[in-house]
Amino acid sequence: MAVETEIVEIAVRTIGVSGAATLLAALWGIPLGIILGLKRFRGRRVIVGFFNAMMGLPAVALGLLLYLLFSQSGPLGFLHLLYTPLAIVLGQAVLITPITVSFTTSTIEAIDPEIKDLATTLGASETEASMAVLKESIGGVLLAVAASFNRAIAELGVAIMVGGNLRGLTRVLTTSIALETTRAELDLGIALTIILLVIVFAVNASVNMLQSKVRSWLWK
Amino acid sequence: MEMITLKDVAKQYGDIKALKNISLEVMKGEVFSVIGPNGSGKTTLLRIMAGIEAPTKGTVIFDGEEVDGKNLVKLRRRGTMVFQKTALFNTTVFGNIAYGLKLRQFPQQEIKERVIDALDIVKLHGYEERLTKSLSGGEQQRVALARALVLETDVLFLDEPTANLDPKSVSVIEETITWINRERNTTVVLATHNMYQAETLGNRTMLIINGEISQIGQSKEIFTLPSTQLADFTRVENIFSGISTMRVEGTPIVTLDNGLKIEAAHGSGGRVTLFIRPEDIILSKDRIVSSARNVFAGQIAGIIDLGPLVKLRVDAGREFVVQITKRSFIEMGLNIDSHVFLTFKASSVHVL
Amino acid sequence: MRNKGIGVWFAVIVVTVLVSVLGTTYFFGVGPFEQRRTKLVVSTTTSLYDTGLLDVIEVQFEEQYVIDVYFISAGTGIAIEYAMRGDADLILVHSPLHELVFLEDGYGVCRKIIAYNFFSIVGFAADPANISGTILTQALTRIVDAGREGEVAWVSRGDNSGTHTKEKSLWSIAGFDWNELRNEDWYMESGLGMGKTLLIADEKMAYTLADIGTYLKYYTDGLVSLEVLIEQVPDMINVYSAIAVNKNYNPQANFDAAITFIKYLASTDGQQLLADYGKITYGRSLFFPAVQLLAQNTDPTLTQWIEDYAYFNGEECPVEYQDDHPELYR
Repeated sequence: MAVETEIVEIAVRTIGVSGAATLLAALWGIPLGIILGLKRFRGRRVIVGFFNAMMGLPAVALGLLLYLLFSQSGPLGFLHLLYTPLAIVLGQAVLITPITVSFTTSTIEAIDPEIKDLATTLGASETEASMAVLKESIGGVLLAVAASFNRAIAELGVAIMVGGNLRGLTRVLTTSIALETTRAELDLGIALTIILLVIVFAVNASVNMLQSKVRSWLWK
Repeated sequence: MEMITLKDVAKQYGDIKALKNISLEVMKGEVFSVIGPNGSGKTTLLRIMAGIEAPTKGTVIFDGEEVDGKNLVKLRRRGTMVFQKTALFNTTVFGNIAYGLKLRQFPQQEIKERVIDALDIVKLHGYEERLTKSLSGGEQQRVALARALVLETDVLFLDEPTANLDPKSVSVIEETITWINRERNTTVVLATHNMYQAETLGNRTMLIINGEISQIGQSKEIFTLPSTQLADFTRVENIFSGISTMRVEGTPIVTLDNGLKIEAAHGSGGRVTLFIRPEDIILSKDRIVSSARNVFAGQIAGIIDLGPLVKLRVDAGREFVVQITKRSFIEMGLNIDSHVFLTFKASSVHVL
Repeated sequence: MRNKGIGVWFAVIVVTVLVSVLGTTYFFGVGPFEQRRTKLVVSTTTSLYDTGLLDVIEVQFEEQYVIDVYFISAGTGIAIEYAMRGDADLILVHSPLHELVFLEDGYGVCRKIIAYNFFSIVGFAADPANISGTILTQALTRIVDAGREGEVAWVSRGDNSGTHTKEKSLWSIAGFDWNELRNEDWYMESGLGMGKTLLIADEKMAYTLADIGTYLKYYTDGLVSLEVLIEQVPDMINVYSAIAVNKNYNPQANFDAAITFIKYLASTDGQQLLADYGKITYGRSLFFPAVQLLAQNTDPTLTQWIEDYAYFNGEECPVEYQDDHPELYR
């Protein structure tokens, strides 16, 4: 396979894997973040603190835990997930969930009291006021998603531990960069790095554009 | 007829007692102003009256109905509040003003008409499609006011609606408050720490300090016989104390502690406190010959930029605060240490 | 208003679920939907993988067989650990001591020596410890002496890799206790791969033990200026073997594919590919084919060196570990 096609394939796989991980994390992380941001219940502070702390979890540590979990002789070995793209998707989703949750929670916490009071005094019920808070939080929530994607696409530990950097199957940009660096193919490493950065910038720019679209659509 | 009655209302946040046993009535159709220093409980009081917050103890009666869990949402809709810190939804002006009407399921056509009318009242004609983020602070607060008045509620709660705004917006908001009270007979509860506003807008005024009612009564009475307590916390600048001696004409002349003499138009003898509004002082580079009785030479000691306005601290034996427009400030070429003259009329001196 | 809000969120959730499920099954699904080709996971060492040799082998092998080969590369220690945990079907490593344990403990069978080359001691061209031209034990002694004088330094992989294992055995051949040396000031442990360790040695003007493949790559690309000072001596021989994961130990392992791959590596095609790799780029081979050498004893001295270093009880693979494949050793 030509180097160019292989690079394109790796880039596409990277976007797919990290994009799927981001969506998965958003799927459970945003609702969780919303609940933590809006509701006040016993143990809430502990949960919020837990997710804040977990944002600092090194990817390689999580990768090791997941490797032991997915390994043939691990508890989930029967799923045969190890060294598949799905394993990276799941691993990255777990890795970035704290970011999705914490960013969502804090954006809602920042907006909550003021907008909730405002909606309330303008005649909103409890539910309607919560909806207003969510509408106002949309920018922060999208930021949470973008930040999660950035972490997912930039991480190495999970991809290498549960993906194994298998050529043509689980090789993604970060694992390729690490590999090409140890192989002393620094030029290729730099090229891959530039591709990674271009993807990150493009995705973040589109999220920014999406933000105003979504906002005006929500208010329609 | 009482619009709102509070009976022994108290509010506690943790160990902090924000309100202590407040009992009062707000009458239908009046402008009731609440003044007090920061942290005195004004905002909490308004939030409880507006049904945004529940009191820790005590009873709130709204138009004859005691507020409880069941009727809260219904009664809350009969009043609305404009907050001190302008909170706007991040969308268009139209989207903001229409919000409460949509909740009340008004037909679209009527929503449109009401929004246009409301914008006319706050003098923001044609602003419908503007994004709230692009507006100035004063414009934003006027949108917030329009958003409240468009609902035509029985009561309007205003929490320091003019704090830190440009003079044009302040006057629009003050006019609107008067208009809405007179034309629509809306009951207005106004929290402020601008005593002139309380004096000119409010039929009755209540002074709240440390969560307790310190004084309550007709505004005229409160402000003609103001307590030093009142002057202490209201945002009064240029407040001085000194010994007043009556002149033969019957007007007092007050000698401040450092010997500076200020002439006043009204007042009594003995130890008094006086103040002069910063905007009543004329600032000039040369001595002005005029009918004004008080002229002092001084030097600029500090400059505070307030956007279209500039506040200057001028050392003229005592430190005076003077408010002028940015344009005058620039045209006069003023700077720190510039030598200036302060001129004000005896009738601008308020003796407490 | 309220209904619309819920509708919006419902739509968002549905789209999210769809996209994530479709997205993941697309990537994962490529496997299950065309399962005709079987999958062989080879756990190998970085020093072999990083040379790029295995990519070339993979291409040729996959053309000839309906097997997809995937390589996971790590230090020999962890590469063997992966296989022990059931996560690889075959190991391709260079550490006889580890290999023997792997066989004895029942994890692997059918060990086949595939290739050899030599480790080298590389160092700064000025050679302050003056080891060039000496024999190995003397060279190591001089490095220790100069190191203790504070004149030179040594960088070790320190990562339990094959190279690291080899280094430890060299110190003991020279009469030193590695456990003592590692506490001395001049002895550094990088804990990193060969390439990074070379870069550190270059930066610190230190000596290190290098596998020739990685060294040549870095040297040719101008990343390090270290010179080879000691090489091609018997104690420095480096032998690469393939071992299939025992199907009795791990029935999930793709044993047939593993045997196929071992046979391919030992075949004339595989051996030729191996012998040619690197000739164009570096002007010399990185690896030498071992199969014919050992079978026909074409060079008795070399055969002896390999037997001394990498044979178990005089055999490439003792018969109890040959499974049902004695043909591999004929």
